[in-house]
Amino acid sequence: MNMNRRAFLKTTGAGLMASAFPLSLVKIAFGGQAPAQDFTFGYISDAHLQQIQGNEFVRNWDMGLIRAVREANLLTPRPDFFMFGGDLAQLGKKEELDHGLEIMSNLRGKVHYVIGEHDYYLDLGEYWQSKIGPLWYSFDHKGVHFVTLNSILTYDSWIHKKWPSPMDRMLAMARLDNPNGSPFMVGEEQLTWLKKDLEKVNRSTPVVLFSHSPIQKIFKPWNFWTEDAERVQALLKPFEKATVIYGHVHQIEYNQIGNITFHAVMATAWPWPYPESYSQTASCLPKLTVPMNRADPFFERDATGWQFIDVRKGKVGMHYQLPDNKNRSVLFNSKAGKPQDVNYQDYGSRIPPQTHY
Amino acid sequence: MKTTARYFKGTFRTGIIAATFAACVAFAAPVGLPPVPVPTDNLITPEKVKLGDKLFHDTRFSSTEEVSCATCHDRKKGFADSLPVSEGIKSLKGTRNAPTVINSAYLRTQFWDGREPTLESQSAQPFLNPVEMGLKDHEPILKIVRTDPEYAELFKNVFGKTGDQITMVEVQKALATFQRTLIGGNSPFDRYYFEGEKEAMSPAAIRGLDIYIGQGRCVSCHLIEQTQALFTDNRFHMIGVSANQMPQDLDELLAAVEDVKKKGTDIAVLSNPKTSSLGRYAVTRDLTDIGAFKTPTLRNIELTAPYMHDGSHKTLEEVVRFYNNGGRLNETDPLPELLSGGIRPLNLTEKQQADLVEFLKALTSPQFVQK
Amino acid sequence: MRKNRKLPGVSFVILMASVLLAISFSIQAGDFTQEDLERWDKEFMTVVMKGEKLFHSALGTNKVSCDQCHPNAANTHPETYPKFQQQIGRVVSLFEMVNWCIQNPLEGDPLPADDPKMAALLSYMTYERRGVPLAPGKH
Repeated sequence: MNMNRRAFLKTTGAGLMASAFPLSLVKIAFGGQAPAQDFTFGYISDAHLQQIQGNEFVRNWDMGLIRAVREANLLTPRPDFFMFGGDLAQLGKKEELDHGLEIMSNLRGKVHYVIGEHDYYLDLGEYWQSKIGPLWYSFDHKGVHFVTLNSILTYDSWIHKKWPSPMDRMLAMARLDNPNGSPFMVGEEQLTWLKKDLEKVNRSTPVVLFSHSPIQKIFKPWNFWTEDAERVQALLKPFEKATVIYGHVHQIEYNQIGNITFHAVMATAWPWPYPESYSQTASCLPKLTVPMNRADPFFERDATGWQFIDVRKGKVGMHYQLPDNKNRSVLFNSKAGKPQDVNYQDYGSRIPPQTHY
Repeated sequence: MKTTARYFKGTFRTGIIAATFAACVAFAAPVGLPPVPVPTDNLITPEKVKLGDKLFHDTRFSSTEEVSCATCHDRKKGFADSLPVSEGIKSLKGTRNAPTVINSAYLRTQFWDGREPTLESQSAQPFLNPVEMGLKDHEPILKIVRTDPEYAELFKNVFGKTGDQITMVEVQKALATFQRTLIGGNSPFDRYYFEGEKEAMSPAAIRGLDIYIGQGRCVSCHLIEQTQALFTDNRFHMIGVSANQMPQDLDELLAAVEDVKKKGTDIAVLSNPKTSSLGRYAVTRDLTDIGAFKTPTLRNIELTAPYMHDGSHKTLEEVVRFYNNGGRLNETDPLPELLSGGIRPLNLTEKQQADLVEFLKALTSPQFVQK
Repeated sequence: MRKNRKLPGVSFVILMASVLLAISFSIQAGDFTQEDLERWDKEFMTVVMKGEKLFHSALGTNKVSCDQCHPNAANTHPETYPKFQQQIGRVVSLFEMVNWCIQNPLEGDPLPADDPKMAALLSYMTYERRGVPLAPGKH
């Protein structure tokens, strides 16, 4: 990609370009499929718009989504499309979802949506499906196969327990550290669907999977977890270039498991601490991850943000837009076969805000 | 203020060690401030200060021979100029409010957008700006300092240089050194907070201090710390001032950036209000910096009205009201979408706002008050 | 001891004094039993549980609760207090920062330092951080 096409008109692209890493040769796909092109899409996630009463919403979270949309509209050249990564609402209420869709309507570009648990558990996705779209689907774009899953389902027995009210079920899932929570999963129906869907896809076609939960097992107490992660990973294993992009964790995370690259997206609403900062339970944060800067709570947008994602030769480069902070870029290093932060991957290059958890 | 002139008898030639020691002793910080940072290659001496003072006030360094640094940084006006935006040669208006020079030695960058890193490098820019001194290059300055006999003597004593050996480097060093001596601490607040003088501030100002640290949320950017108070965090924040003048869409943003690229930052930002509104973004091209300006110190703020980067706020009351409404003068104005996360409505009562203003008035250093 | 009218009174006092003296030699001031420890621990845990409830409830005016940013009170770092708190401009104890959070992100009113609610919140936060060595002053 030409340096001058760098978003936000930076004329010195110091450290931003993937050209810093040697690139593998483009593989021509067979079967008459066009090779994957390079392009960019935007990703906004975890808005958590929270109703106080009537038309009054928590100003802090509103400002997060509003800012992300505004900045995304200033991205140039325009990205091909946008994803919304889930948790548009805080408690799944119609008012919250409508409020979110109203703000998102200002975004210039097509938006595809991923559902999050905060959107789902009040009415089990009914309003979402009527106003937004299906809970899982796939589409192709410029030679890349995109799949979206509803990965925040859980055991039927938990969903269909005798809850005093649907809101009680929603509140139980909304509480991140709920000791009586239930682990996220994709479930049999979608696993069957995914298998069929991927059967039609050429093994050399890049595949990008959008999910709210991590499709990994990182930290069960906070549901940084997908119970059937291995089964989804197994379905992605045959592909030369597979990437999973997930929300829910409200922090920078990235990992490489075999052939699959994993990237978390930032929340526009608020950050979550890294699991290692809960001292009573061990956590499995990917070693690869260079943490985001620890937030200063005075600056309400600190440790929040959104991202634009470059697809280059079928792998992704994450460009995190972090208000009140220096932006971060995590690109795929094809020589090393894993994602790397452009500035801070080396332990010696880390700065105090990244190590002060 | 203790100046070297009173305490240091000697010249640069007495030796680096003596000079350093004297500098440290002579510039022991006033109450409430840390020691002044002095670069090792530009130590302070009384002769150098005198030279810098002379250069600072010399109107010959402008195309009309009417404008000097002191035109916009007037000792009688808190080393600012009491105008919303400064006026240079032929009363040409710029786009930005003159910051005070007092305590600028403590700033990590200079100018509202931090485009120059030091006092030395900043001092060379206004000479070349069409709406400030209007010179095409620095040659007229060098001609004067190389030939004027008073300057010749001073440059010889201070730098050991004569004639063509004198360059802008020496001029900038002298100007910076003079500015480095303009330090103001020891305000009523300092005496109250750091010296325990209970009577130093009025009851209203004391209440105002409480609000400043608490509900007012001022202390996070306009720092007061345990043993010192710089009243600035040296960072850049978009607080919503004149947000409606910022580029409203991508096309306008692209045009403003073109302006900066074509004319250079210094000239572009002072010639076009829309370009000026980019703030720190013009320097870093980082969207987190759009519309962001450097936190100025609040010391001596009573002396340097009007306020904000474009002088759009006439009084301290207006400023406090602006913050109280969460980054807008009127509650009914729209909230800027790219606002810094630190700015939000404060819900201060009228009385609390008045007390806060009283506190701000307690930050004046006595030596800068004009009787 | 020979009985007469006065003697039972005096002797009773002497007897009681002896008994008390004897008792006082076997239970020292500040002595406590395993039972005491368990009871006091339970007392503490009731306050921890109260704190857990408060921590997960809206303490301010905008429906936001502490656990939204601090699941399991993570990233509150009680072991680093007192410390220089950037947001307040001076060295403070944990309760002052809790109040800062109640006033700022939660848009509520601060609690007095000795409020039972504050004691409960502090107990919960510290309990969730048990075992971590003290690091006062750490940013």
